[in-house]
Amino acid sequence: MDMNERKIGDVILALDNISLSFGSMKVLNNISFDVKQGEIRSIIGPNGAGKSSMLNVINGFYHPQEGSITFRGEKRKEMDVHKAAASGIARTFQNIALFKGMSTLDNIMTGRNLKIKSNLFQQAIYWGKAQKEEIEHRYKVEEIIDFLEIQDIRKTPVGRLPYGFQKRVELGRALAAEPDILLLDEPMAGMNVEEKEDMSRFILDINDEFGTTIILIEHDMGVVMDLSDRVVVLDYGLQLADGPPDEVRSNQKVIDAYLGVSH
Amino acid sequence: MRIERDIIYIILAFIVLMVVVPWTAGQLSDQIFFNWPFFFEVAIGGLLSGVMYSLVALGFVLIFKASGVFNFSQGAIVLFSALTLVGLHELGLPMWLAMIATMGVMYLVAVAIEKFVLGKLVNQEHIILFMATIGIAYFLDGFGQILWGSDVKLLDLGISQAPGFYFDGLILINDFDLFAAVVAGVMVLSLAIFFQYTRIGRALRAVADDHQAALSVGIPLNHIWIIVWTVAGLVGLVAGIMWGSKMGVQFSLALIALKALPVLILGGFTSVPGAIIGGLIIGAGEKLAEVFLAPMIGGGIEEWFAYMLALAFLVFRPQGLFGEKIIERV
Repeated sequence: MDMNERKIGDVILALDNISLSFGSMKVLNNISFDVKQGEIRSIIGPNGAGKSSMLNVINGFYHPQEGSITFRGEKRKEMDVHKAAASGIARTFQNIALFKGMSTLDNIMTGRNLKIKSNLFQQAIYWGKAQKEEIEHRYKVEEIIDFLEIQDIRKTPVGRLPYGFQKRVELGRALAAEPDILLLDEPMAGMNVEEKEDMSRFILDINDEFGTTIILIEHDMGVVMDLSDRVVVLDYGLQLADGPPDEVRSNQKVIDAYLGVSH
Repeated sequence: MRIERDIIYIILAFIVLMVVVPWTAGQLSDQIFFNWPFFFEVAIGGLLSGVMYSLVALGFVLIFKASGVFNFSQGAIVLFSALTLVGLHELGLPMWLAMIATMGVMYLVAVAIEKFVLGKLVNQEHIILFMATIGIAYFLDGFGQILWGSDVKLLDLGISQAPGFYFDGLILINDFDLFAAVVAGVMVLSLAIFFQYTRIGRALRAVADDHQAALSVGIPLNHIWIIVWTVAGLVGLVAGIMWGSKMGVQFSLALIALKALPVLILGGFTSVPGAIIGGLIIGAGEKLAEVFLAPMIGGGIEEWFAYMLALAFLVFRPQGLFGEKIIERV
């Protein structure tokens, strides 16, 4: 892909000196980085580095004790889960968090939850606006199902799907919200090479076609270096490096953290 | 809802058994009186009392659907709402106003439960939420009786409890039971519509499956919980009114929850229609067995029939008639 054709805009999300601790355990220590509109931003680091905690801070599951988050120019101390979702931040989880008893279709429909405007009464009698809306949303969801190539499992309860497909459905649910920022927590964990290639293609297409900003946590370094515009490296809650993939790859601290170093 | 063929077979088998067994018993034994009007009288009486079980079971199903939690406090909710209703009525409010006020109180109870108990337990294991509902049960039991006293109170809706004659005087049916059945029918219909066709319905199922994921797609957990507990409170109120008129408003109302358990096992914990059909089968089954089998095998069948049936279901069809079969990939 030609980098010059993609439009990377201004900073949409900035994290300043974020510190988060649980009791005496410091999970994030003075982390600062920003995310630009339309870029693929990766967070990498060994297990326990604080990557998932970082995502949880961004979508409001965790509230940092220190620091500030500037989202679309509005500075705040912490995000609120509901507000984050309502203002265009969607996510997937490291351990798939789908609604297991519901079908693929219904799962993805829940992603449209915040977009449904008809009131309870209209919905209850399924009349007028509610009916029109449901059809519109259903249409959008079908587009996503086509995009992710999961037409065959539309009606299957997701609990019965193989792992790789569950990951895709989860991505679909996040996409259904038509987010501006998509947080992906290890979307390729546990996948084989072919599945990883599919997932990489989806991520690039989402970024390219919809202009969605993506914040990605991933362990497969090949994938990260290929996909990302910029990479931030964490280790034990500390920020080791931040920059384009090539720069990060040659950073001595990063190499040490990954390969281990004798002190 | 798609109905499996199995379910239809099971229900048909029950109906056939319920007809064939009393008839055979009537033929075999001199002590058992059997004729068709009498059979229908017993069967209808049983079905109607089954509706009363369903009313209680419904409250359980609602909360289970919406939070995946078995709500131990449903019995206490029934008692609390009935006590509040009668208490307000005794204070001088007319019955209709007392009902509306009680609905308001049940909403406040739901808000309080969300605010002080469940809201603090987001993302916890189901067993922890279950323990919390035990606490809620004890609190409501005590709180209701502190507020309104623990005497047996009379609840009179002005509907005759005396039996009326139907079909040219051939069959005796209690008018009040008919009234209860109509109320239950209307309630079930509105609940079914509410859950099937609204966004709330989908959100409820989502919340039951995974709190965190539900939050991440912008489903407001606290609102959902308040809605569900309010609805459970209203269903509890209806059950409380019906049972309270029959046996007086008193502590033992909280224990009718025990009768709802076998209904839930039979119908499936997650199914509104299941609660109804489960109640009907148990209601009719136990009455028919008591009347037509007791002279042969000894009385008191009504006491254990429901539980034995539930046990059989646990062995052969643990998800109940309409429950979701949990399939875990390992």
